[in-house]
Amino acid sequence: MLVSDVMIRTNVVKSGMLVRDVFAECGRAHVQALPFVDGKGEISGRVTLKNIMEFSCLPEHMVDMAPLLGSFLSCVNNAEEKVKEVLCSTVDKYVRESGQFIDSSAPAIKALAFMEKNDTSYLFVVDAAQYMGVVTIQGIASRMSEMAECPLPGARSE
Amino acid sequence: MHGELETASQVVFGWDPLWVSTIIFIVTYVVIVTERINRAIVAGLGAGLMITLGVLNQQQAIAGVDFNTLGLLTGMMVIVAITRRCGVFQFVAIWSAKKVAAKPWGIMLMLSVVTAVFSALLDNVTTVLLIAPVTLLITEELDVNPYPYLFAEIFASNIGGTATLIGDPPNIMIGSAVGLSFNDFLLNLGPISLLILVVMLALFYFLWGKDLQATDEARHRIMQFRERDAITDSRLLKQSLAVLTLVVTGFVLAHPLQLEPATIAMFGAGLLMLLVNIGKKAEEQSEDVHHSFGEVEWVTIFFFVGLFIVVSGIEHAGLLGMLANYVVSLTGGDMTVTAISIIWVSAIASAVVDNIPFVATMIPMIESMASSFGGTEHLMPLWWSLALGACLGGNGSLIGASANLIVAGFAERAGHRIRFLPFMAMAFPLMLLSVAIASLYLYVRYL
Repeated sequence: MLVSDVMIRTNVVKSGMLVRDVFAECGRAHVQALPFVDGKGEISGRVTLKNIMEFSCLPEHMVDMAPLLGSFLSCVNNAEEKVKEVLCSTVDKYVRESGQFIDSSAPAIKALAFMEKNDTSYLFVVDAAQYMGVVTIQGIASRMSEMAECPLPGARSE
Repeated sequence: MHGELETASQVVFGWDPLWVSTIIFIVTYVVIVTERINRAIVAGLGAGLMITLGVLNQQQAIAGVDFNTLGLLTGMMVIVAITRRCGVFQFVAIWSAKKVAAKPWGIMLMLSVVTAVFSALLDNVTTVLLIAPVTLLITEELDVNPYPYLFAEIFASNIGGTATLIGDPPNIMIGSAVGLSFNDFLLNLGPISLLILVVMLALFYFLWGKDLQATDEARHRIMQFRERDAITDSRLLKQSLAVLTLVVTGFVLAHPLQLEPATIAMFGAGLLMLLVNIGKKAEEQSEDVHHSFGEVEWVTIFFFVGLFIVVSGIEHAGLLGMLANYVVSLTGGDMTVTAISIIWVSAIASAVVDNIPFVATMIPMIESMASSFGGTEHLMPLWWSLALGACLGGNGSLIGASANLIVAGFAERAGHRIRFLPFMAMAFPLMLLSVAIASLYLYVRYL
C-alpha cells in the first residue's frame, strides 16, 4: 500500500481565509489539518483544528480543570456569540510550522512511522514541492480494513 | 577519601585561587541573573571551571554538594508529582469555595489559606500550579477580576512556604546545612508566618475584598461545581494521602528516629511508587516510573549541584571567610545588627534575584561567623533571619519567586496579564511590611 493509495485531496489555506471555511473543508475531507500556502503557492505552514480550538475556545486553565466542567458554565451559555467570533476571524493567527512531509510514492508504513515519530495522526503529501493531499491514520486503517476478509468469531479455522 | 580532600589541587598557571574562584563565582552569578542562558547550564559550567582550573579537585567538589538537600527536593517532587494526578488539590479548592457560599471575599480568603497550607506541606511552585487554574475558572464564573485573587495567592504561597522545612528551597538548604528539623522550622517560623498571613489577608480585605461583588447567578454557578468530579483516581488519592501523612509524620519524628529529611522523602517517594505500581505489568510499571521521575525538576536539581560546587570553590579559596569577617566588622560584631541586616539584605536581594544562589552563598558565610559570635550554637538568630528574609523577599516582585512567575504565566495565557511594575508597586511595600513584622519578631524572640 502506497501513500498515494490512501491520500485525501483537499483545498489549501491562504492568508485572509476565514476559520469557518477551514472548518468546513476539514469536515468535508475528514482531516484535522490543512496546509497553509504563501503567495508563491508553496507550503509555509499548517492550520490545525486542534490549534484553533486550543487558542480560541479552550483556555489553559479549562484544560486543567476538565473533570469539573459542566453545562452550568457561563461560557456554555454564551457559546453562540463566541462561536460566531471564532468562525468569522481569519486563520492567519493560527498558522503553525508546516511539520513533516511525505512523498506520495512512499509506502504507507513509512507514513505510519513518521506519524508515530512526530506524535501526530496525519501528514501532508508533497511531490516536488507540490502539495498533493493529506494522509491520515484513519485513512490507512480504513483501507486496511478492506484488504482482507476475516473468519467470523468462533468459526473453525480450516 | 579524607586524605584526598585535604590535598588541594593546584590552580593552573600558579594563579591565585582566591582571584580565580571569585571571578568564576561573579561571572556565574551575573550570567544566572541575566537569565540569558539556562541557570543549570551556567551553574554546571561554573562548577566545571572550579574543578578544571584547579580551585577544587573532584573529590572536594563532590564533598561540597549537599545530597541531603537534593534528596529531600527529589523525593518531595516525586511524591507531589504522583499525588497531583488524583485531583485532591482541585477538590479542596472547590470545596473551600463552596464552604463560604461562593462569596467573592470568602473565596479569596479560603483560596489564600489553602494555598498557604499546601505551600507549607508541599512546595509553593506545585501549589500555585494547581491553585491558579482553579482560581481562574472560579473568578471567570464569578465574573470578578482574578488579579486580587492571584496576588493574594502569590503572597500566601511564599508566606506558607516560609513556615516549614519543606515549604521553600532556601529552608531546605538552611535546614540541611545546619541540621534543623521540620519541627524546628515549624516552631520557630510557623507562628510568625501565620501572623504575617493574617496581617496580609486583613490588608487584602481593605484593598480589594470589601469591594468584591458577584451576582447571585454567578455564585450559583460556583455552587453547581461538583468537587467530587475533581477526584480522578480515588485509589491513588488514598495511597497518596497515606504516604503524605507518613512522610509528614516522619519529618515531625525525624529527630527521635535519627533520620535525615532526605531519607524520609526518598523513602516516601519509593513507597508511593511501589503502591501505585502494585499489580501492574512490567511495561506499565516502567512507563509509570519513567513518568514520575520525568516530573522531577531536574533543571533545579542540577542547578543546585552546580551552585553547591561553585560556592564550595569560593569557600575553599577563603573568600566567604573574608566576607564574613567583613560583615562582622561592619556590624561591630553585634548579633542584633547582624541578624537585622541579614533579614533585610536577604529580603531585598530575594525580591530581585533568585534566592537559591543567594542562600547558597550566605550559608557558608554565616557558618564562618561562628567564631565571632561564640560558636555555632549562637548563630540561630542568623539562620532564622536568612530563612525569613529569603522566603518573604520572594513576594517583592514578579521575579522574586518561581511561584510568582507561574501564576503570572497562567494569568497571561488566560488574558489577564499581570504587569511587572504595577505588581511591584503594591507587592514591594507589602513585602517590606512583612519583613518589618518578621524583624520585630526576631528581635523580641531571639535577640
